[in-house]
Amino acid sequence: MRRLVACLLVCLLLGVSAAQAQGIAFVLNSAAASVSVIDMATLKEVRRIPSLREPHHLVLSPDRKSLMVGDTAGNEMMFLDPATGAVQKRIPMSDPYQFGYSPDAKFFVAAALARNQIDVYDGPTLKLLKRFEVKKTPSHLDYSPDSGTVYVSLQDSDSLIAIDLKALTVRWQKPVGKTPAGVIWHDGNVLVANMGTDYVSKIRPSDGAEVAKIVTGKGAHTIFRSPDTKVLWVNNRAGGTTVALDPATLTVTKRFVVSGGPDDIDFAPGGKLWITRRWAEKVAVLDPVTGVIEDVKVGRSPHGLWLNPGAPSPSAAVATR
Amino acid sequence: MTFDPFDQLAGLIQEWVLIPLLYEIGLMSWEDIAFGWALFAVYGAFQVAITFAVCVPLEKWRPVERWPDSKAVWVDVLYTVLTRVGVLPLFTFVLFYRAQVWVHGWIADWGLVPPTLERLVPALYGQPVLTFICYAIILDCAEYWRHRLSHMFRWWYALHSLHHAQRQMTFWSDDRNHVLDDMIAFVWFGVIALLIGVPPLQFPLLVLVLRFLESLSHANARVSFGWLGDRVLISPRFHRLHHGLRAAGRRSCNYGSVLPWWDMLFRTADFSPVYVGTGDPSGEEALATGTWSQQQMAGLRRFGRAIGVRA
Repeated sequence: MRRLVACLLVCLLLGVSAAQAQGIAFVLNSAAASVSVIDMATLKEVRRIPSLREPHHLVLSPDRKSLMVGDTAGNEMMFLDPATGAVQKRIPMSDPYQFGYSPDAKFFVAAALARNQIDVYDGPTLKLLKRFEVKKTPSHLDYSPDSGTVYVSLQDSDSLIAIDLKALTVRWQKPVGKTPAGVIWHDGNVLVANMGTDYVSKIRPSDGAEVAKIVTGKGAHTIFRSPDTKVLWVNNRAGGTTVALDPATLTVTKRFVVSGGPDDIDFAPGGKLWITRRWAEKVAVLDPVTGVIEDVKVGRSPHGLWLNPGAPSPSAAVATR
Repeated sequence: MTFDPFDQLAGLIQEWVLIPLLYEIGLMSWEDIAFGWALFAVYGAFQVAITFAVCVPLEKWRPVERWPDSKAVWVDVLYTVLTRVGVLPLFTFVLFYRAQVWVHGWIADWGLVPPTLERLVPALYGQPVLTFICYAIILDCAEYWRHRLSHMFRWWYALHSLHHAQRQMTFWSDDRNHVLDDMIAFVWFGVIALLIGVPPLQFPLLVLVLRFLESLSHANARVSFGWLGDRVLISPRFHRLHHGLRAAGRRSCNYGSVLPWWDMLFRTADFSPVYVGTGDPSGEEALATGTWSQQQMAGLRRFGRAIGVRA
């Protein structure tokens, strides 16, 4: 009997802790100057954190202690506690649109879309090392795995630029498809989603040559790798679709209709995709097995998002506040 | 966190009209600007509809003047639609937004903090509505001085007289302006907004309310808000005195847009309980009754004469 009670207690405790660790999602409402805090268990927005003007993208700091939210029109970087959303600090930063740390965390590069600049910062101190004036509208970026090169799409000049981070020089700038946006290093190549076309360009990193075109859908916009690395997901902005690519063959294996301008993606532990729908004020939670979509209501023009499934339920935090 | 029908409608326009169009003509990099334009256009259209629904009954119920025909009013309708649904949003997004990001980014480059009210008064962080009200008060004061100065300089009033030429002043008359006068106003607003870091796109509903009050103040209606109300918000009676026959040019009064406080503070307020006729007769007749282009050309000619250029 004592063993049974102990077993029940353990189950109860596990159940409670599992419920508390359902997680928290942060969604940046770019046209509402706020960050929506979502309870991942209930799919409900529990509160909003005000930002200054226009938050677009976010990234977790290398020490995982801060969620860095870039506010473009506000020209500042806001640091949030990734577990609670509490504001840790704000620092001035010129037009941080899309950005990220190099794999070795030595560099932090920000694409300043409205100011036609690519800013290379020292990773640990965020001190500006060099500014590259580029033409024009630098949009999205990714790094080579050795952290030696950053690749940035230049939206209004239909090209991709490669910057050598050791020498801080431009290695090359080469044409890709029309209005390039999302960039990802993949299997020794760089993939660039061309929003003004229906395809993703496969670019050879050594010289910037386009070696293949992968048709995904109208307005190919962003590319994300699933946590298990078995799928590449592409959002097609104009076509209103989210497609799965086989990472080995780069062929389309699945296609889902996600209306409202699908943009950024993050992945929940169970395999569901959280996709921001820019013009619908919603996040789509897509089950890629069944194709079923649940919507989470957020603010105007939701863009970047990040899930922290290990965080305690924000609903519980609200209830105890 | 509530359902917003304006945003939903703007989203549908974006998805079904603007994005397919931008994709076909190769301008997908304008997608964010397009959505912003759609939002303002939807709010603008709704604001025009609300103003129409409120002001038309008011003007029929208690008109100050009755006219045998209202042909001159139709040009004002065109001004309103162009300004509230078309041109203004475009200017707001393409010019002001870009300028603000550039200037503030430049300031950030120097390690300085771009100006915003929230940074000046940290208590305003997290109080977006209160912040907006503060911004609205400051901008209303700036607008008072822009308007007052436009009456003081001969060349500026030459342009602004287009606004004052209307003898059939109705709620549609708020936006009847010379394009050069509008551009000066835009630059004026832009500079002030850059100095204090205005976030107008975050509060389209409040902007809508302010614009509604501005339209209402031009209504051809015997409406005042009472002794106290007239000193809190500008009423049709108060603003009609500004458009009065004897209040044109430098002799005018009641320059405020939404709040009468600045007129009271700077001693230009006139709360006389009268409803006067409107229309400055000092310019060409085309300024009052011409077509849109005739009015613009007449304003330009008057401006040319004021700065010593003969057409």
